[in-house]
Amino acid sequence: MVKRFGDLTAVGGVGFSIEEGETFGLLGPNGAGKTTSISMVAGLLEPDAGEVVVAGISISPASVAGKAAIGLVPQDLAIYPDLTATENLSFFGRLYGMRGEELAKRVAEVLEVIGLVDRKDDLTKEFSGGMKRRLNIGIGLLHRPKLLILDEPTVGVDPQSRNSILESVESLSAEGMAVLYTTHYMEEAERLCDRVAIIDEGTIKAEGTRRELVSMVGKRDRITITATGDLSRAAQVAGDVQGVFEASQSDQGLEVLADEASSLLPELLSRIAAGGAVITGVEVVEPNLEAVFLHVTGKALRD
Amino acid sequence: MGPATRIATKDLKLRIRDRSAFILGIFAPLVLAVIFNFVFGGALNAESLDLRFGLVDLDDSEVSRGFWEILSGAESEELLVLTDFEDAAGAEAAVEEGEIDAYYLIDPGMHAAVEAGEEFEIRIVGDVDAPTSTQIAASIAEQFGAGVAGVQLSVATSVALLEGSPPPEIAVWGEEAAARAPSYVLDDATTETRQLDATTYFSAGMAVFFLFFTVQFGVIGLLEEQRDGTMARLLAAPIRRTSVIAAKALLSSWLGIISLSILILATHYLLDASWGPPLGVTLLVMAGVLSAVAIMGLVGSVAQTPEGAGNLGAIIAVVLGMLGGTFFPIGQGDDLLSKLTYLTPHAWFMRGLAEISGGAEWTAALPAVGALLIFALVLGSIAWALMRRRITA
Repeated sequence: MVKRFGDLTAVGGVGFSIEEGETFGLLGPNGAGKTTSISMVAGLLEPDAGEVVVAGISISPASVAGKAAIGLVPQDLAIYPDLTATENLSFFGRLYGMRGEELAKRVAEVLEVIGLVDRKDDLTKEFSGGMKRRLNIGIGLLHRPKLLILDEPTVGVDPQSRNSILESVESLSAEGMAVLYTTHYMEEAERLCDRVAIIDEGTIKAEGTRRELVSMVGKRDRITITATGDLSRAAQVAGDVQGVFEASQSDQGLEVLADEASSLLPELLSRIAAGGAVITGVEVVEPNLEAVFLHVTGKALRD
Repeated sequence: MGPATRIATKDLKLRIRDRSAFILGIFAPLVLAVIFNFVFGGALNAESLDLRFGLVDLDDSEVSRGFWEILSGAESEELLVLTDFEDAAGAEAAVEEGEIDAYYLIDPGMHAAVEAGEEFEIRIVGDVDAPTSTQIAASIAEQFGAGVAGVQLSVATSVALLEGSPPPEIAVWGEEAAARAPSYVLDDATTETRQLDATTYFSAGMAVFFLFFTVQFGVIGLLEEQRDGTMARLLAAPIRRTSVIAAKALLSSWLGIISLSILILATHYLLDASWGPPLGVTLLVMAGVLSAVAIMGLVGSVAQTPEGAGNLGAIIAVVLGMLGGTFFPIGQGDDLLSKLTYLTPHAWFMRGLAEISGGAEWTAALPAVGALLIFALVLGSIAWALMRRRITA
């Protein structure tokens, strides 16, 4: 997809595909082109070049049928404050062609999912920020879309509500829904997304699973082992474990660099203990997307 | 129910909860109509003036009796009450006692002055507490004087022609005589039927004035959807984009029709306003609402924010309302102001109502209905195009 606004190229060539049940993250700073990209995916904007296909249907601002397969959760709260939660859900449900018993049943289900059953008949202007955010998401998934687009859904949300929202998103992909998730929070992308595209200045700089992206950068897991005893011997033993790239003695114990810390950790600890060292603590630090972002864009994620 | 109707129904529910549309659309115009009718109704409604004039005819000539006959004719039409006095003192006392509003004093020599082609004088003495009646008395005398002067000019012209030496000024005399012909006729039935009574006038004036504020709630809704972020969700739904615009126009029309209908019924039953044949009134209401929606839609399409649209809409509503004669009557003459009134839907609405409220057939409203529909079509098309471009940008 390409989108220009006058002389400004907001999106200069973004392309990706998402499978059913997959959560795909667009990770990038503010102004990177995330919202413009998803606006084209949702049929809000017409791409200047390229095509969006969802569930086999080409999407454009004029494509009425194709939009039924998409659920959009805009970054700004898109709810009516003078309607109740039930009325908000019912109104948008009807716009998506839902009627009668089917609509009432689905509204009740969604209220359950977003945890607003007790407040379903209250005007949403009386809701907290987190409750409004949850309702905002509920409207997007009401009609069981094949693709759910969430545009920074946790911005301005308290930690408790944020966790609730993330749990909801995790359950959606488990139900087989394809999720397109944009965020500039690295930890959200790492927690939710099966694959991530790092977007900056309107183009995708890198794409893949978290592990693939980290490997591309060449970073390894760092294992910090707090131990006493013959640490020199322990470092030697650790270095012989397959998958360990480097092991060295430190003031408190050992520092180990490895490719897959989680898989080799049992054997590593077992061998160190057998070598005579007494292990009192272990910390594993995996390379994160922040480092990847820094590597591929040359700047920090929150710049 | 289509998407536009669904969105409009949702908006109507929001407006009902908000209540502001109904305060502006029903309560405010009804209250103002009552107040205006109470304060200004007497001045506007000629029938309620209860004109009481006196006449002191000290000339007692053929000419002065001609003036008396004019006044007597008006009395027989129940337009005024005329009392004859022997002298000025008796008439003066009657004015001071409040028995009459004004009296005419015709001094001796009026007949002779007319015959000699000289100016004559009819003095009017009025009650300071009855300025409107006194002004009307003066107008009647002026018209009589103009008529006599016209006759004097005609006689002078005829004499000159008979003497075979027509003066070079004869053409000018003729024009002057024609110009002095009476233009105000007391018993003009056509004028009577085309005027709204005070109650109906203020009821209709306030109704159409506030109509523009009421319909604004619908079209401003488009800007509010954009401001509040819900527009993205509407446009992402599987509906045509133009459904959103149509929904706002539909809501505006609903609000306008509801408010006007309630006002018409309320003023009819509570204030005894006479709106005319239901079919004619219905057509005027429909056409008036559409023209208001078009104008306020145009405002909404050029404004950037709901607040900006509200301010601009208020300015336009007030200017058009005043120019269109919703607060005070504006004549239908040839002056510039009178011509400008035709640029407002308000004037056409009031004019159409005046045509049918006096007992004419509903078809008498059709010219005004046509004019209102032209407003709606031309301005509505422009507004539609601009709004469509706005939501597709």
